[in-house]
Amino acid sequence: MADFEIKDLRVSVEGREILKGVSLSVNKGEVHAVMGPNGSGKSTLSHTLMGHPNYKVISGQVLFKGKNILALQPEERAKLGMFLALQYPVVVPGITMSNFLRTAINAKRGYDGKDKSKAINVKEFRALLRDEMSVLRMDDSFLSRYVNEGFSGGEKKRAEILQMAVLKPEIAILDETDSGLDIDSIKFVSDAVNRMRGPELGVLIITHYTRVLKFIKPDYVHVLVNGEFVRSGGPELADWLEAKGYSEWVKEPAKAPAALEAK
Amino acid sequence: MAFSRSAVEELSALHGEPDWLRARRLTSFGIYEGLAVPDTKRQEDWRQVDLKGLDLEAYAPFQQPNGRAPLGTLENVGATLRQRGTSPAVVSIAPELTQRGVIFMPLAEAARAHPELVQRYLFTGVKPEQDKFAALHGALFSGGTFLYVPDGVTIDEPLVSQFWSAGSGAAVLPHSLVIGGKGSRFQYVDEFLSGDRQEAALASGSAEVFLEEGANVGYVALQHWSIKTWQFANQRFQLGRDSHLNAVTIALGGQMARLRVEAILQGPGSSADLKGLFFGTGDQAFDFRTLQDHVGPHTTSDLLFKGALRDRAKSVYVGVVRVEPEARGSSSNQANRNLLLSEKAKATSEPILEILNNDILRCSHGATVGPVDPEHLFYLESRGIPHPVAERMLVQGFLGEVLDRITVPQVREAVDQELAARID
Ligand SMILES: Nc1ncnc2c1ncn2[C@@H]1O[C@H](COP(=O)(O)OP(=O)(O)OP(=O)(O)O)[C@@H](O)[C@H]1O
Ligand SMILES: [Mg+2]
Repeated sequence: MADFEIKDLRVSVEGREILKGVSLSVNKGEVHAVMGPNGSGKSTLSHTLMGHPNYKVISGQVLFKGKNILALQPEERAKLGMFLALQYPVVVPGITMSNFLRTAINAKRGYDGKDKSKAINVKEFRALLRDEMSVLRMDDSFLSRYVNEGFSGGEKKRAEILQMAVLKPEIAILDETDSGLDIDSIKFVSDAVNRMRGPELGVLIITHYTRVLKFIKPDYVHVLVNGEFVRSGGPELADWLEAKGYSEWVKEPAKAPAALEAK
Repeated sequence: MAFSRSAVEELSALHGEPDWLRARRLTSFGIYEGLAVPDTKRQEDWRQVDLKGLDLEAYAPFQQPNGRAPLGTLENVGATLRQRGTSPAVVSIAPELTQRGVIFMPLAEAARAHPELVQRYLFTGVKPEQDKFAALHGALFSGGTFLYVPDGVTIDEPLVSQFWSAGSGAAVLPHSLVIGGKGSRFQYVDEFLSGDRQEAALASGSAEVFLEEGANVGYVALQHWSIKTWQFANQRFQLGRDSHLNAVTIALGGQMARLRVEAILQGPGSSADLKGLFFGTGDQAFDFRTLQDHVGPHTTSDLLFKGALRDRAKSVYVGVVRVEPEARGSSSNQANRNLLLSEKAKATSEPILEILNNDILRCSHGATVGPVDPEHLFYLESRGIPHPVAERMLVQGFLGEVLDRITVPQVREAVDQELAARID
């Protein structure tokens, strides 16, 4: 059995079935790319995996560390080692990045406001961030700003990867982390993700475009169309998609990925 | 002993007040006797206020002097005045400020030492005629602070008054009178506290603040009466030409706490920044009535009242923006934002615009009432932050915009602590 296993997952949103039986096995050390046209259900999958309350599981299981995580709260999933980089990171006024990151790190360490020895100290915190932020080309001023407030699209995505880097998950789902990024930012983000790759991390990278897959090389590629996986393969499937698009599955003349990129 | 003329005389004698002040108290008492308790069904200004259970007869007219204010450890302040009930206030002021002509003393003492100043301003803003409670306050105010900052004087460190309620069952009605001379700059803080969180009391905690030409004044009021207090308070700011006011009011206590905040932008070019924060738990009810009165031309006001309510707590916000005929080129903004932390908590918000001059730059208003944003909660929780911690952070973040305006660290700390204890 794989480290992280999605079994025949069916999910509805606002009473409409979006995921119609999705299965996928991810092992730590592997990078899986999930590709698909707009509205195919990619974000529905990512949100469901993290436990967003709007997504109702009709049936299926997601097994991780011997548990069906679908029964767990988002915070418990995070504690187990899951992480979701959102396609559209949320602006949270009034909470600074620094407070947000510190609280998240402390939660992971089991600090509940009582045993101070479990809390990350200022020096450690600084050191941890300094490293990761330099890879992502983020300067210190981000820390004193409110979470994502006034961040450009690219800065928001980098901030997501920064969170991933400090929380060190075992299963990371990156939902279109590359979209909206210029080519330099894609490189910085990819560098940061590649630094984390290794036997202890499994990645599910959701994307529209093959571009990012030149930097973060996937081991497997899966095509999601209309709530179902229609094809899976190795990295060569991404090249094939780049040439053909989704026309095989989608009735209307499919836009080539390059055209999508320009939207 | 219920409220009576003899109680007024006794209180005035207790403070050693001059005849003119006693006479004023008695006039106010006459007004009090002539007015009925507001009719919450018919009087527009009192609609939505729940006065059920209020029995004015149940309260003693003042607290007998029974001990001084607790010793405190306020640091980095220019002056402090502490008063407990009607006991004599303890005042300390940096000698350097006295040398520069700053007057900071109990109101009764100022009435003797500086009658011309006090007479000219006292109760010209918060008028006894306003309603029965304002009249009672004028008749039986239990003491208070007089602050006068001369023309051109800048004070870096805040001046702070602390008023304690002293024991159950009495009226505690402090009053602050603040005058900022031309071009003066300073911050003044009123703190209203109950020694016992459960004691029953009838309270006010009112302030009249006058800003002369070019004055720049910060005013902070922290209302932390017991949760069995009925509060009827008024803050009135009178702004002269090109003066600037920064006011922050924080409401934490009270069973039913009503506060009227009025900024009268009289002088051309004057501006007022009015911030409010409240946090209600249990069965607390808050009632805020605000007025941004643009009288002079090119005046600017910006108001933001933010609050969070849990359990069965309620709040009513009614905010009037008035642009008077002479107020061309004025600009105003009003916002009231309410966070509901439980199903039974309730907030209502009503903006009222009275525009009598259409030659204005801006007049905007907005109100929101709702729970913590579930997308925000999901985001924090998806990072492993436990639900209660996430909720607390979001509430603190929501209130932070106003909290950050509390310039006195000790006050900020006290508010943070109280909020942290109540949010969980
Ligand atoms: N919260 C929601 N409320 C209503 N409908 C939703 C919601 N989330 C998703 N949907 C619907 O579910 C379908 C799948 O959306 P989803 O966001 O999963 O697609 P996607 O593959 O991520 O698309 P994109 O490439 O545009 O990000 C769409 O028809 C969308 O409108
Ligand atoms: Mg999506």
